[in-house]
Amino acid sequence: MQVYSVPKSIKKDSKFTFCSGCDHGLAIKLVAQVLDELNLREKTLAVASSGCSVFLYNFLDVDCIESPHGRAAAVATGAKRAFRAQKQDRFVFTYQGDGDFASIGLGESIHSALRGENISIICINNTNYGMTGGQMGPTSTMGQITTTSPLGRNEYYHGYPIKAAEHIALCDGTCFSARCALFDIKNIINTKKQIKHAFECQIKGLGFSFVEILSSCPTNWRLSPKDAHKKIENEISKIYPIGIFKDKTNDN
Amino acid sequence: MSEKQLLKGNIAIAKAALEAGCKCYFGYPITPQSEIGEFLSLEMQKLDLGYVCAESEIGAINMALGATATGTKALVSSSSCAISLMQEALSYAASDELPIVLVNVMRAGPGQGYIYPSQGDYNQATVGGGNGDYHTIVLSPSSVEECALMTYRAFYLSQKYKNPVILLVDGFLGQMAEGVELVKNPYPEIDNSSWILSGANNRDSRKIHSLEPNQDKLNNHIRNLSAKYKEIEKNEVDYEKYLCDDAEIIITAFGSLARAAKEVCNHYRKKGVRIGLFRPKTLWPFPYQELGELSKKIKIFVDIEMNLGQMLKDVKLALSSGAKVSFIGKPVGDWLKLEEMIQGIENIIKENQVASL
Ligand SMILES: Cc1ncc(C[n+]2csc(CCOP(=O)(O)OP(=O)(O)O)c2C)c(N)n1
Ligand code: SF4
Ligand SMILES: [Mg+2]
Repeated sequence: MQVYSVPKSIKKDSKFTFCSGCDHGLAIKLVAQVLDELNLREKTLAVASSGCSVFLYNFLDVDCIESPHGRAAAVATGAKRAFRAQKQDRFVFTYQGDGDFASIGLGESIHSALRGENISIICINNTNYGMTGGQMGPTSTMGQITTTSPLGRNEYYHGYPIKAAEHIALCDGTCFSARCALFDIKNIINTKKQIKHAFECQIKGLGFSFVEILSSCPTNWRLSPKDAHKKIENEISKIYPIGIFKDKTNDN
Repeated sequence: MSEKQLLKGNIAIAKAALEAGCKCYFGYPITPQSEIGEFLSLEMQKLDLGYVCAESEIGAINMALGATATGTKALVSSSSCAISLMQEALSYAASDELPIVLVNVMRAGPGQGYIYPSQGDYNQATVGGGNGDYHTIVLSPSSVEECALMTYRAFYLSQKYKNPVILLVDGFLGQMAEGVELVKNPYPEIDNSSWILSGANNRDSRKIHSLEPNQDKLNNHIRNLSAKYKEIEKNEVDYEKYLCDDAEIIITAFGSLARAAKEVCNHYRKKGVRIGLFRPKTLWPFPYQELGELSKKIKIFVDIEMNLGQMLKDVKLALSSGAKVSFIGKPVGDWLKLEEMIQGIENIIKENQVASL
């Protein structure tokens, strides 16, 4: 009996090139499993962004476009609107970092949620700009030491981080907004469930769906993969609570 | 679409875009081009097409990246300072080989400048305001009718070469109403099935990307783009010659200003001075060769622009040795008046002791 197989939506023979212990690989695998389960592979356009997330297109076996840094929600908006104009039923989602989604691209992100664009967004929150070497980003936590906050983030000098899932939940066009994590089996299962629910919102045409995933960046955090997960469990998930902040499918 | 209508350049562009099969429009308001988006907002909604009042010009042009990647024709329009905001995505579109059609109805700059007519974006459009080795095709209409014809051509060339195309319109032309007969789109559809992203159904998955960590691959990609640009330079140069054959002086001008320049030619012809006009219709690729050819026998050139001489450097590059070029221009404001041009040319005639007046 086969207990595990590589998802159909993952390219054959692909090996993840992320740093060891990085949660990007796991997150992409979960996305691939959900694409399989919902039979979306053949009708999907994935929008990768700038950041470690960009390598999505080396692993996912679906049509992919890379967007300029921060513009994934706009690129996805254009694609989804175009498919609709062509009377084509296609599935469009973005896979973005926290810096991409919530800093340089915050305008595109919030406005696509406000417009209720029928797209789904997966945001990998690793509390820094991972690809460029771990600088302070919009989600870096108070006190967090990064290469550009060497003395730790503080409110006077740097200001405060953003809670993306809560902000997105405030937008009227948002159908679903949740935050989850990958530090243990229970949370991994929950994350997959939230991704699936978000994707189903789009399939049903209910508008913008958003999943923020608290993810590890052991390299830039200068921690072992195990300690990185502990940090998410004990510190980061206390600041960024795991939960569902909006779900229109529960209304009425 | 065949009887004569009184149309502004902006509306002619919008109507021609629909006729050319454009199914998406993304834009953000800025004078003097807002009529394009205003007109299409109703028409596209009626047809259930893709119209988005974008949050910014950055949003708009990136939406066009997404839309064109699916094989859907998309239009973005804006003006000068706001076109500056789009340069990053234009560079991506060139690298990704995505057929975005972008209309720039120019206003005066730099910075916000003002909504006065100007041709100050020649450099940005033809040299490219984004990073890297790339080119956008740049078309320059000089009448409302040409606004429509070149919109058709912009969609066609963008699809043919998988390259962004800029329709560079001066604010005067965008706002000017003329009686025109809108003809049907004369260009064939280009098969895009080999590259568009429509879902990996019965074929391998595809990716469109500009990031390329492999040095050799990146080199090859840029060289391939460059080879494509050479093809475009070979095939698509377009220009108009007016009374050039027997001319002793040639005016170079583009856009609606070139029409006024024709009046200057007519004025002098009546006086027995043989002046002609050379008007590039493609600003990139620029008709270097054709202008160079003319300059083998005609030696006096006058470049007239509503800027401080941006096309002038291309004219100089084109001219063969012995030919010289003077410049008449101003950066902004009321269009150069006939009398101003005539006065300027009068001086040049005197300096060069051409024919007696
Ligand atoms: C316009 C622009 N600015 C800056 C960069 C450099 N850059 C590339 S990725 C990145 C940070 C990505 O951080 P994040 O979105 O959090 O993704 P991560 O790598 O952490 O997964 C930056 C700053 C760029 N490519 N483009
Ligand atoms: S830098 Fe961080 S986010 Fe990027 S691959 Fe390495 S661990 Fe993952
Ligand atoms: Mg990050």
